[in-house]
Amino acid sequence: MHRTPRILFGLACLLALWACGAGPQDAGIVFAIGGAPDEIQVWEAIAAGFSRDTGVPVRILRQPTDTAQRRQGLLVALGSAQRDPDVFLMDIAWLGLFAAAEWLAPLEEVDLEPFFPQVVRLTDFFADQLIALPVTVDVGVLYYRADLLAGPPPQTWDALAAQALRVQQRLRPRQPGFFGFVWQGAQYEGLVVNFLDLAGSRGGFVRDGDRIRVQSPANLRALTRMVDFIHGTAAISPPNTYTEMTEEEVRRYFQSGGALFQRNWPYAYALHQAEGSAVQGRTGVSPLPDPDDGERAPTLGGWHVGVSAFSDRPAAAQRFARYLTSAAVQKKLVLELGLPSGRRDLYADADVLAKFPHFKTLAAVLPTARPRPIVPSYTLISEIMQRRLSGALARDDTPAAALAKAQLEIDQLLARTADRPAGQGRP
Amino acid sequence: MIGSQAGCGSALRRTRGPARRPLSAQVRGFWFLAPLFGFIGLLILIPVLGTLLDSLFRDIIYLPARFVLLANFQALAADPAFWGAVRFSLLFVLVSVPLQLLLGLGMALVLNEPMPLRGLVRACMLVPWAIPAAVTGRVFQLVYNYSYGAANYLLDRLQLSAEPVNWLGTSVSSFVAVVAADTWQTTPFAAILLLAGLAAIPEDLYAQARVDQAGLLRRFFSITLPLLKPVLIVALLFRTIQALRVFDIIFVLTGGGPGGATEPLSMLAYRHFAAGDFGYGSAASVVLFAIALGLSLVYVRVGRFQEGP
Repeated sequence: MHRTPRILFGLACLLALWACGAGPQDAGIVFAIGGAPDEIQVWEAIAAGFSRDTGVPVRILRQPTDTAQRRQGLLVALGSAQRDPDVFLMDIAWLGLFAAAEWLAPLEEVDLEPFFPQVVRLTDFFADQLIALPVTVDVGVLYYRADLLAGPPPQTWDALAAQALRVQQRLRPRQPGFFGFVWQGAQYEGLVVNFLDLAGSRGGFVRDGDRIRVQSPANLRALTRMVDFIHGTAAISPPNTYTEMTEEEVRRYFQSGGALFQRNWPYAYALHQAEGSAVQGRTGVSPLPDPDDGERAPTLGGWHVGVSAFSDRPAAAQRFARYLTSAAVQKKLVLELGLPSGRRDLYADADVLAKFPHFKTLAAVLPTARPRPIVPSYTLISEIMQRRLSGALARDDTPAAALAKAQLEIDQLLARTADRPAGQGRP
Repeated sequence: MIGSQAGCGSALRRTRGPARRPLSAQVRGFWFLAPLFGFIGLLILIPVLGTLLDSLFRDIIYLPARFVLLANFQALAADPAFWGAVRFSLLFVLVSVPLQLLLGLGMALVLNEPMPLRGLVRACMLVPWAIPAAVTGRVFQLVYNYSYGAANYLLDRLQLSAEPVNWLGTSVSSFVAVVAADTWQTTPFAAILLLAGLAAIPEDLYAQARVDQAGLLRRFFSITLPLLKPVLIVALLFRTIQALRVFDIIFVLTGGGPGGATEPLSMLAYRHFAAGDFGYGSAASVVLFAIALGLSLVYVRVGRFQEGP
């Protein structure tokens, strides 16, 4: 007789356990985000704001700071069709892969009017569907030392090289490690971006039917210029440019007062102007010089929000994605993290301009920015370019030979990985 | 494989003697071994076979999987990056392993001599091997750093060079830099193995040789080296396989640069895995596996393990 209650008690325990186990899954949406600790704090505050407004809890799935590791974390979760994360940020360079893998749910009820039209048109549509929205945009700019530069910042790369050399020669006796121009030349994605910035609208990755062409006169001139910056008779960039220079190395070099010009992303501005910086109040920002051929076409960077096709809370996830791109949240991101927004209206905002005067320059540069090819194999294409460009900078190859090899390898890769035109959705 | 197993079997039988154990004991023996077989099957056999199988597919994360037989291997054969990685991996083994064994042998000989505080010195010697390879990579990055590295600081202090040297800047110097870092890390491993071998050599042999008035070199080449040979072969085998699959120290130190000059096969495979191209990465892993297996078989044959020392 007294066994029945015990069984009931056991069942009740099991039920309670089941309820506990099911609890967190049902509790809301999971948002995967990476970055430095101070950035995570801002994202947590934004997520808390969303929960307050809507009653939908948001759990932050914290990712590493490193971009490649963030991609891999998402690749594993989405590749195995997991329900979490529901919402995540993607580097613009992964959009083609994520979209082609059919991991992204089409975004609904979005007003595209406030965004930079060419950014959304060129990057966030895949097979005629809106699959992402810009949360932050990025574009390379030229930083210069206003106190060392006589006259306006250079409009051409020749002018930049000449000014850099002159100031470098003047300062060297006092400052032996001073260089005219620092940029990202290590073997990583940043090298490809710097190369594209120099190559301009006629160079870079040119889509030619199913092919992607990199062997072009504009690219040859750009790469030759990069080699000359480091190794030429009038070298203006440090010898370790192609072995060690990434965004942060470059930023620190410039910030310690070691260079006249710097190519970097807009994030560096706030750090240069911060207390304790050797270039505080002496840093100017301007668009990068005109390319030797064609129009300016600086590389578009940035992070876009996507909703997982496997989300178990799609409606709430869509709502959160729209929330992240809303004017209020975007303004908070700009003011607290200094990350340029994909919304045009913020570049005329008085609070933003008061804190970040360089946003005026960005507003002029961003409409000219051009994304890297939105193709699923971009990661592998970029790795080929990284290796070949780096080989040229190390002078293992001539620029012409390096580009020829890259072309050959890209052709082979596309032949191997495409059974439909590159960059188009599945039939 | 089958041949070598049969060889092992016959060797075991010889040592065990003519009398076979009763069947029940054999069955019981199998049960003792079963967990080991389970582990090997689960953790080694299945992944190896899975990789082998995957290398026959075009397994790209954003495309439907398709059986392509050897197309991945054909593509590898046409890929200059693959041949660059094969060349680097083999060259790395060829240069680093003998260097590390020679240095390790020297260290072992010194540490085998009686000296004050020998235990402490032996423990100190092991420190590099105890440090994770990724950390070693980061440490050597600080050594080779162009602007604030220890190497350029020394050059400057000793006035050997007016300009700092970009150590990781050419394919030759970055190769040397990688080998040097790896040698610092793994020589103690070779030394500790060889030290164990040295300790096992009976002291009376040396006493006898001294009676026969054999000199230091004669004793080394006629007693130490021949008796150390089995341990040397084991150390050679271990180090070769470790060097073939080197990854972390290079990944951190050079990232395979400049221009892919220091990219081992393992990193080529990793890059493709990370980009979602699993079939191609698996094919590269299979080639690496084949090279490691081939070299191991050569060593085993040369070392004649079946017959014992």
